[in-house]
Amino acid sequence: MQTSFTAAQLRDPAIAASNQVLRTCVHCGFCTATCPTFVLLGDELDSPRGRIYLIKDMLEAGRPATAEVVLHVDRCLSCLSCMTTCPSGVHYMHLVDHARTYVAQTYRRPWHERGLRALLAGVLPYPGRFRRVLAAARLARPFARLLPRGGTLFGRMRAMLAMAPASLPPAGVLDGVGVHRAEGARRFRVALLAGCAQRVLDPAINDATIHLLTRMGGEVVVAAGAGCCGALTHHMGRHAQAMASARANIFAWSDEIDGAGLDGIVMNASGCGTMVKDYGFMFRDEPEAAAAARVAALAMDVSEALEKFGYVPARPAPGLTVAYHSACSLQHGQKVTDTPKVLLRKAGFRVVEPAEGHLCCGSAGTYNLMQPDIAARLRERKLENLRATRPDLVATGNIGCMTQLAGGGLPVVHTVELLDWMAGGPEPAGLCRA
Amino acid sequence: MITQLPPRQDVLARRDAIVAGLRRLLPPDGVIAEKLLLKPYETDGLTAYRQVPLAVVLPETTAQVAAIMAFLHREGVRVVPRGAGTSLSGGALPMQDAVVLGLMRMNRILEIDTADRLAVVQAGVTNIGITQAVQAEGFFYAPDPSSQLACMIGGNVNMNAGGAHCLRYGVTANNLLGLKIVTVDGQVIELGGAHLDAAGYDWLGLLTGSEGQLAIVTEVTVRILRSPEGARAMLAAFRANEVAGACVASIIASGIIPVALEFMDRPAIHACEAFAHAGYPLDAEAMLIIEVEGSPAEQDELLGRLRDICARHDPISVKVSSSVAESAAIWKGRKGAFGAVGRISPDYLCMDGVIPTSRLAEVLRRIGEMSAERGLQVANIFHAGDGNLHPLIMFDANDPDSFARAERFGADVLTLCVEVGGCLTGEHGVGVEKRDLMGVQFTATELDQQRRIKSAFDPGWLLNPSKVFPLQPAPA
Amino acid sequence: MSARLLADALAPADEAGVAASVRAAFEAGEPLLVQGNGSKRAMLRPVQAARALSAGALSGITLYSPQELVLSARAGTMVADLNAAVAAQGQQITAEIPDFSALLGSTAAPTLGGAVAANLSGPRRVAWGAMRDHVLGVRAVNGTGDIIRSGGRVLKNVTGLDLCKLLTGSHGTLAVLTEVTLKVLPVPERRATLVLRGLDPVQGVAALAAALGSPYGVSAAAYLPASVSHRVPGLNGAAALVRLEDFASFVAYRSERLRADLSAFGQVEVLDDAATLAAWAAVRDAAPLVDEPGAIWRVSVRPSAGPRIAAVLERMFDARWFLDWGGGLVWIAGPATAAAHDAVCAAAREAGGTWTLLRAPEALRAAVAVIPPEPAPLAAIARRVKAAFDPKGILNPGRLRAGE
Repeated sequence: MQTSFTAAQLRDPAIAASNQVLRTCVHCGFCTATCPTFVLLGDELDSPRGRIYLIKDMLEAGRPATAEVVLHVDRCLSCLSCMTTCPSGVHYMHLVDHARTYVAQTYRRPWHERGLRALLAGVLPYPGRFRRVLAAARLARPFARLLPRGGTLFGRMRAMLAMAPASLPPAGVLDGVGVHRAEGARRFRVALLAGCAQRVLDPAINDATIHLLTRMGGEVVVAAGAGCCGALTHHMGRHAQAMASARANIFAWSDEIDGAGLDGIVMNASGCGTMVKDYGFMFRDEPEAAAAARVAALAMDVSEALEKFGYVPARPAPGLTVAYHSACSLQHGQKVTDTPKVLLRKAGFRVVEPAEGHLCCGSAGTYNLMQPDIAARLRERKLENLRATRPDLVATGNIGCMTQLAGGGLPVVHTVELLDWMAGGPEPAGLCRA
Repeated sequence: MITQLPPRQDVLARRDAIVAGLRRLLPPDGVIAEKLLLKPYETDGLTAYRQVPLAVVLPETTAQVAAIMAFLHREGVRVVPRGAGTSLSGGALPMQDAVVLGLMRMNRILEIDTADRLAVVQAGVTNIGITQAVQAEGFFYAPDPSSQLACMIGGNVNMNAGGAHCLRYGVTANNLLGLKIVTVDGQVIELGGAHLDAAGYDWLGLLTGSEGQLAIVTEVTVRILRSPEGARAMLAAFRANEVAGACVASIIASGIIPVALEFMDRPAIHACEAFAHAGYPLDAEAMLIIEVEGSPAEQDELLGRLRDICARHDPISVKVSSSVAESAAIWKGRKGAFGAVGRISPDYLCMDGVIPTSRLAEVLRRIGEMSAERGLQVANIFHAGDGNLHPLIMFDANDPDSFARAERFGADVLTLCVEVGGCLTGEHGVGVEKRDLMGVQFTATELDQQRRIKSAFDPGWLLNPSKVFPLQPAPA
Repeated sequence: MSARLLADALAPADEAGVAASVRAAFEAGEPLLVQGNGSKRAMLRPVQAARALSAGALSGITLYSPQELVLSARAGTMVADLNAAVAAQGQQITAEIPDFSALLGSTAAPTLGGAVAANLSGPRRVAWGAMRDHVLGVRAVNGTGDIIRSGGRVLKNVTGLDLCKLLTGSHGTLAVLTEVTLKVLPVPERRATLVLRGLDPVQGVAALAAALGSPYGVSAAAYLPASVSHRVPGLNGAAALVRLEDFASFVAYRSERLRADLSAFGQVEVLDDAATLAAWAAVRDAAPLVDEPGAIWRVSVRPSAGPRIAAVLERMFDARWFLDWGGGLVWIAGPATAAAHDAVCAAAREAGGTWTLLRAPEALRAAVAVIPPEPAPLAAIARRVKAAFDPKGILNPGRLRAGE
């Protein structure tokens, strides 16, 4: 597609990168069909192609972002379904990430949005803070119904309170910095990203991951200094904060690579995986470029790790039908599509897939908090498609999806919990509760 | 560069009042009038031509469409209907003084009847959406344009969309039963219905492929077909375009009509393979995708016969797909071909001429010569069974001279198609792109005949302006 | 009128002659009865015209390229000659053009132009499309004497408005066809017909729907009630017929599969290739009703509505009938009265369908709506479209509707 950046504009590496993305797009429109917001809202402006056009126009003009444009960029889930669809190989993710940063730099949001974004960016990436906030929110939940109906602000407050679990699990037994030794002879050594929000909301996922990998002969290190992957703030356009988080991880894991060595860096929240795998691009013009690329190359989803290191179940097939919900960050962001299903089948589950599997469930990081109406419609649509498969439970590889789909009448557990269970671990709590 | 009708200054001057009138007819998010937000609507799948419209409306019901049309007719405002905006001929190119009527929100499936083998859908349902809605029952909707994932049935009707399988199943016109249309002055008319072949004039046939010149299509009744027991594709690679062309003629002459018979030349093979990883033969000059349907034994029999025919043309390789996944990958490459060219060139013009299949080798040779003369690369994708040729002319839109050469190259290719006995467009439509070439195919008398029909539906020439008919004062 | 008119008939030898004749008539404001050999003159409404203009002398195949599946012929070429020419190359005209000569009491040889002008399609229509679906290109002379072309000689063409479709089935009221290009297809290697005997109409159509909804490529599906079935070779008593046409091995396999699939409806017999040809020729030409006195109607409805229409009309006037196109084409014979006609129209309308009064005494055809009237907004457009081709209304005035 034609672009009209000046030579001066193109000297900005971010603009140059976006120009490359825009030039790849031929405006064929295939992406519109698989974009959740276009499917729901039926407006070019809420499609990837429309957003690309809005972003192109904004960047070319070099003018500050305007409220109308921000509305449509904000509605993007960053689910990256469009990237799976795109025949031309347009790297929409890099373009929209750039746009979000540009918006954050040039647009002043209303006070309540700024407050909300600051709150989320200041809490979610920090497990201790997040745990305390959730505890408080749990107490506030009964008051949610007192909030007025309608209005963006109150809608978001309701969404946040709804997200707070009725009871908060205690911190995981294995969930902490340190090295977890392999059972028997050590066959491989991996780092695990312990994550931020997930370890508070459902520490059992990390427990299961570590149990399973160590049982398979892996040494699992949760590196000191590694924390949030940076995705939460990155998607809010808080570039500096995201880069700082990522940089800390790159340093921490580089120490491990150069020290005892790593056969992989394992992520069990696929949203984080997409991010870490993109560190190479994020740091392409930074001093840490080489280290970032090395980290990115080692990054793998837990399902990829299990496949690579040879997952073997130990229990007889449980006779359960699992609806596999493919998290967008896994299927579109990382293009990991078959591996989790293959593993689940290997573990003895009957695996079914919902219609419209490519459509986001509406979780999308903090999207369900920022855009509660669209998120709720996507959630309902996803749950309907999941129920239609008549499963015993739903498995997915991302904590965001688990939280989003919880309370929909189907038990939702992490894929790794099921795989750990069949390999000798405990039955997932999500399944016992149901 | 193609010239457009000058905007009507009186309409531009009344813009605010017109927008206010539209806002009274639709919910708040159904009217877009902010300058910045109109920009993404300035073009469709043919980005070489762009014009920001006066406003965009997004109705959800036929009644809303009728109200909009009645209002705009009273106001004398031009209307550009738009589905998914995937037209490769600029069929949905807006005009500065025109309102874009987007049908994307009309995306509901209204009726499915597998016993009577039909589905009634709104115009904004995607082509593939129809098949997805009926495939659990074992049925499908046959026309399959490459953009079927995104393109909408209303646009398919207006362009008489084809696809890779129309050699066997026909184009859109052959798979329709009925339409609900809204006339330029806002009257709702039903044409056809759940039955075949209405007595009287074939309005359904006339409306199909009329490119938004005659009316707005809001609902479509399509025929659905039972899916075959199975389908399998084979890839045959050849040393020269001529040889592949001769092989196509041998296949048709043998009495086998494959459900699809697709041709790609070397640049197309390479671009598509990079996208789909389907195992396309990278050492070939030309490749055929041949698909057959039926039971496994029937497929084997046909593929065996086809393999024998290919063998007589000194193929480099012949590979029969062994699984559903392999066939899907083969088709993924073909269907993503246009976009995939985006990987090797920032921009392309996609031609859509049709030629007698016996002239294929000659036409490809001439296109090769033109490519050298113009200094522009070209990739050829061809529905070989029915002679529908898609040369993709690659250029760089950031270089104005490159675009000008591409446009002239395209015009030369289409003129050649007509010269050898073919036509300007097989499935993409005339749109704005080929409008000025209509005189190559039709006499002035013939164009006037078509214009008079247009006038019978749209006396004020308000519908989809600047398309199809070379610009001239509208006939009385 | 026919004898006098034929004496006066204009029969130009070529397209230029047709154009000159129409031009003269246009200038004189003189209505023309447009026809080929006149084999279908007893269809639809009688035309009040001073002269007949026949395209019958425009004869001969102008292009036939079997490996491109394309055939062009002048409008007056006899259908029988065309069929023979394509058969010699192992191909066929897909629309399976019916011959209504016996039904209409005509001895004239039907022409290609007539078949296209009337959009005549046989049993294969249900699976492979109507005549209009196979017309790739036309040449014609409009009502001012201009020669116009639409479409061409290639299989796909969306250049400009599709006048091929508009002129096909327009019964010479918009333009005089002078040449037609058709898509042709290979003759299938083998044919077979599955026969289910003794089903009532509702069960029969359900069986046809099951067959047409199967993956076996059924190419025709008809239901014959006991009252008329004996006029189809090989039948005696009510029968549902399902035709397969394909490679020999395919037909063998598919007959067996379909027999199994349809076994829930009853015993299935299979007719061989020769018996299939004979049976479907009879269905195609409406042989079951040829000997019925009175009027003949064709009603097109959604297939599942066919039996209901038949039942209603049987009750109202003891109609003789049979169903083609999977139940969607209802052939009806009944008294040539306005009351019977009204009943047919009402039944068709109620089922959301369309009708044609195909055969009736001239007085009845002149007095009633032989095809459905159009809603007012469409009728207004239709008048303007007619004027766009034929501003003085000289081509077959009144053939489709009174005053048009």
